[in-house]
Amino acid sequence: MKSEDETAIPQEWLEEFEAAARRPLEVRFRYAFIRTYKPVLDDAPYRAFDTMEDYRRWCEENLPDWLGYGRV
Amino acid sequence: MAAFEYRQAQEIRDALARHGVRYLFIGRAGAILLGFPDTTQDADLFVERSPDNCRELVTALRELGFALTNDQAGEVERGKDFVQLKNGPFDLDLVFAPDGIEQFEDAWRRRVEVEGFPVCHIDDIIASKAAANRVKDRESLPRLRSFREYWMQTRPQDH
Repeated sequence: MKSEDETAIPQEWLEEFEAAARRPLEVRFRYAFIRTYKPVLDDAPYRAFDTMEDYRRWCEENLPDWLGYGRV
Repeated sequence: MAAFEYRQAQEIRDALARHGVRYLFIGRAGAILLGFPDTTQDADLFVERSPDNCRELVTALRELGFALTNDQAGEVERGKDFVQLKNGPFDLDLVFAPDGIEQFEDAWRRRVEVEGFPVCHIDDIIASKAAANRVKDRESLPRLRSFREYWMQTRPQDH
């Protein structure tokens, strides 16, 4: 069983969650979806991978580390 | 390409519904649909991997304007684990075997409907991100887990 401390939501996050809940879905979408160029990843119109492991490995071998697609 | 818009999400929902495609929004886009305030670039769909479902998915994708070659359509129909589409009106990732979720049917039973959008339960979204274990997921998981607590306390009980 989780203690109260473990389930406590930081005040700043709680305020963000409450603010989001007051917005209509369409507005949440407008705030949430952004467009920035991601090198390599955005350079091909189509990619398919037989397994998720293949995809994860491809990301680690081809994408810049700073994109965050590498596994911990 | 412009950012993904609500209108386009509606187009996905409506086109896939017309063709009876079984799928769920997953990943960050799924969390955003549930109310999680965050940013992302594209939508991830967890699609049931069955021949009929994948065939209908290809038809729906072409209707939406994705320029799939016959070879690419064949790959989607065979349900490769992960397909990344940037050849249409918006970016879309198709995930047929997300990390951390055993079977589509399990996630389907737990799904949440948000304005007609079928969405993975927050626990499945968290499970898939935790199992993927990427740097960017590790960074977002504490806030997402806090959102889960909030969502479980405040969501309508009929979900």
